[in-house]
Amino acid sequence: MPTRREVVAALAEAVGPANVMWRPEDLAVYEFDGTIERSTPHAVALPANAAETAAVVRACNRLGVPVTPRGAGTGLSGGSVPARRGVVISTARMRSILEIDPVDRIAIVEPGVPNLDLSKAAAPYGLFYAPDPSSQQACTIGGNVAENAGGPHCLALGVTQNHVLGIEVVTASGELTWLGGRVPDALGFDLRGAFIGSEGTLGIATKVIVRLVPSPASVITLLAVFDSVQQASETVSAIISAGMIPAAMEMMDRLCLQAAEAGFQCGYPPDAGAVLLVELDGLPDIIDGQAATVRAECLERGAKEVRLASGQREREMLWKGRKGAIPALGRLAPNYYILDGVVPRSKLVEVMETVSTVSERFDIPIANVFHAGDGNLHPLVLFDERTPGAKSRVLEAGGEIMRACVDAGGALSGEHGIGAEKRMFMPWLYNETDIENMARLRTVFGNTGDFNPCKLLPTGTGCGEMAHQAAAIAAAGPDAYV
Amino acid sequence: MASDSPLWPLLSEAPTAEDLARCVHCGLCLSSCPTYIVTGLEVESPRGRIHMAKLVNEGRSELTPAIQQHWELCLQCRACEAVCPSGVPYGRIQEHARAQLDHAAPKQRGQRRVRKFLLRNVIARPRVLAAAMAPARWYANSFARRLARRSGLLRGRLGAMESQLPRNVGRPYRPANTASPSAAATDETSSGVLFTGCVMGELFGNVHRATERVYARAGIDLRATPGQGCCGALHAHDGDLEFARKLARKNIAALETTTGPIVVNSAGCGAAMKEYGDLLSGDPKWASRAAAFAVRVKDSSELLNDFPGGSFEGRVAYQDACHLAHAQRIREQPRTLLGTLAGCSLVETPGADVCCGAAGIYSLVQSEMSGVLRQRKADQFAAARPDVVVTANPGCHLQYEAAVRQAGIPARVMHLMEVLDEAASSNSQQQD
Repeated sequence: MPTRREVVAALAEAVGPANVMWRPEDLAVYEFDGTIERSTPHAVALPANAAETAAVVRACNRLGVPVTPRGAGTGLSGGSVPARRGVVISTARMRSILEIDPVDRIAIVEPGVPNLDLSKAAAPYGLFYAPDPSSQQACTIGGNVAENAGGPHCLALGVTQNHVLGIEVVTASGELTWLGGRVPDALGFDLRGAFIGSEGTLGIATKVIVRLVPSPASVITLLAVFDSVQQASETVSAIISAGMIPAAMEMMDRLCLQAAEAGFQCGYPPDAGAVLLVELDGLPDIIDGQAATVRAECLERGAKEVRLASGQREREMLWKGRKGAIPALGRLAPNYYILDGVVPRSKLVEVMETVSTVSERFDIPIANVFHAGDGNLHPLVLFDERTPGAKSRVLEAGGEIMRACVDAGGALSGEHGIGAEKRMFMPWLYNETDIENMARLRTVFGNTGDFNPCKLLPTGTGCGEMAHQAAAIAAAGPDAYV
Repeated sequence: MASDSPLWPLLSEAPTAEDLARCVHCGLCLSSCPTYIVTGLEVESPRGRIHMAKLVNEGRSELTPAIQQHWELCLQCRACEAVCPSGVPYGRIQEHARAQLDHAAPKQRGQRRVRKFLLRNVIARPRVLAAAMAPARWYANSFARRLARRSGLLRGRLGAMESQLPRNVGRPYRPANTASPSAAATDETSSGVLFTGCVMGELFGNVHRATERVYARAGIDLRATPGQGCCGALHAHDGDLEFARKLARKNIAALETTTGPIVVNSAGCGAAMKEYGDLLSGDPKWASRAAAFAVRVKDSSELLNDFPGGSFEGRVAYQDACHLAHAQRIREQPRTLLGTLAGCSLVETPGADVCCGAAGIYSLVQSEMSGVLRQRKADQFAAARPDVVVTANPGCHLQYEAAVRQAGIPARVMHLMEVLDEAASSNSQQQD
């Protein structure tokens, strides 16, 4: 292994000394993302463009140092945490919107552009960028590509995969290449598709060509108040069965409502057991009819109240609370372990019951806020990491919930990525051949195991730095592929 | 991972573990932070600065010169606090973090001492401040200033200080020496106290007089009750909490016998005074008096529902003062007041609520970052070409005068109260 001094010198040559961080107290700030994963890098490099990014990657490969790409560090699966230390490559200096083409309805952006900044820049043309993760004010397009990010409005419009046309990539081997382009390219292998959601294990995006979509002609936002999560869950399937796909359909339980209301005073009912936030968009004549149907379905299943947001401001407040609901839980507990399971809509009620059983059995509060229309759950296990033993029990509880999602015919992640802590659950869904094939794809891009190590695939060694890895492996059960 | 051995040099003033634990490091604050926007470095972000405090608190790191630099580059604009879903009291954490620097002061100990001395012995002493400001006031309006500007001598810190003088300085406005005889007789709804502050009264007497007239038109009689002084905000932001408490107690003692609202036209002072309860919460003799005082504090834009309006022609760019928008969460009222004026066309510039870089004494001690942020404002003004830039805080006011000069546009910089005053008087002239 090279010394830290050698690594820093090589990075300084690639990006200039001002854009390398090496002091321990500076590096500690890069030891986490939005999760409870922790691992401190040996150095951080901030390249200004694709050429500098490639130079950093090649230098690290030459020195045999692990590389971990990072956007804004808002991820919820530990994707940007440098599990085997080494070098973090931050895209924070690559944050220009290079082009907005309102005729072709595309934008070309650098990877460090915050998601919401892109939609704001497109707004004057009557366009927006559809995927809207709850962290959109800070999270970056590059990070969205890596994690195949979703968001409330992906129910009708699809996730990042559906909105990215082309990506300029510095591969794990340090080569510069384009995957896809300005127009949909249907021939041959869809490497663009393979790259999106690869969680930074194939390379680093240095430019992204995204699709922009027209802002809707009109929008209606409804808030349906229920006594229980069960009633609200039943209503979700009923609304879809009634023959419509709302722009968004979100559920929040009592704990999340309390936290969000404390954080934003957004007008949520304090005594509700759960709410559904339903948004309809399109032509006024059509969505007025849909709104009446939604209201009827909610009331039929026991809604105490169905409130129509009266204007832009009320709509914004309802969404502000929803989008800030997860971090708002910091008001109730110092830490949370967030899950991202997906279940078929028909199994929502059943799995939500399991979640509440797990909460009771472990005697740990679990809050729920999720993209109900997609069946994409976000149970949040609340705890205090300073309590001895809390973390391992929380991971155990999380493992049981993930198991329930898989048993119900679902998936391990809807939008946050597998990342570090869920990768040992992969064998629940994929056999050895599946996982080997995915590992081979990594090598095609030149990843020999050092490019964002210990992420996504349950292979690789030397990831012991992640403190709770062992506990998670124990929780995964004897059939885990470790 | 709490350690039993925090490395705070001044434990009694340390950020509390409870405040620090509020941060779940979600990162939503990053895009709101001016220094992160400029640098792209997480060490210059709120989440990063909180984490550094955690490192010291948990005994993982000494309070190193690097940590000191990252904290001192913070503008304390509290934009992060306003967007934080988890309610992290960032302003409080940062003040307590800085309280450590006097004792650890790994770097620039001398500079910190000079600063503390000046804040304690000039800013907070009305007579010394008045004496210090007299030549500055003369210079600001004089021909000598034009000569100095042309001479090219105003470089570096001297230039930064020079640019911190307003264009037109009116007569100072100081609290009366004795209580006005009518004070006790007036009732609560129609009278209140005008908070005069330190620099505000010396350099912005015109704004105080405008505030009085505007409030008179709204049916509220304001009095500058004697005994009041500097609010202590600058001291608290610099980590001199001990002295900030002293000033808070002085103001509470002077004003708690009065009735009605305490009207503040400087956003930074208003924010600090609304938090007196918090500042003195550990002082059993003063905690409840401070809390009672704090609820009476109102920004000057808050109580003008009965302001009759007027006309004010022009394109007006309202710029949120950080401690109004982020600390006091007042964004709508000033815009609503401007919106009611006939002929006033509100121009929203991008980033109107991003700090201008004035930030109290920040423009003097961190002039480089302050200059970058001022240039951003200048660029926005050059693009939007407003006739008037409106703000509600003295530091911002001065910074905007410099930004307007940089933008090369003939815009006037005015306090919200001056705009309302001018609008109302033009109205009454028309009626006459």
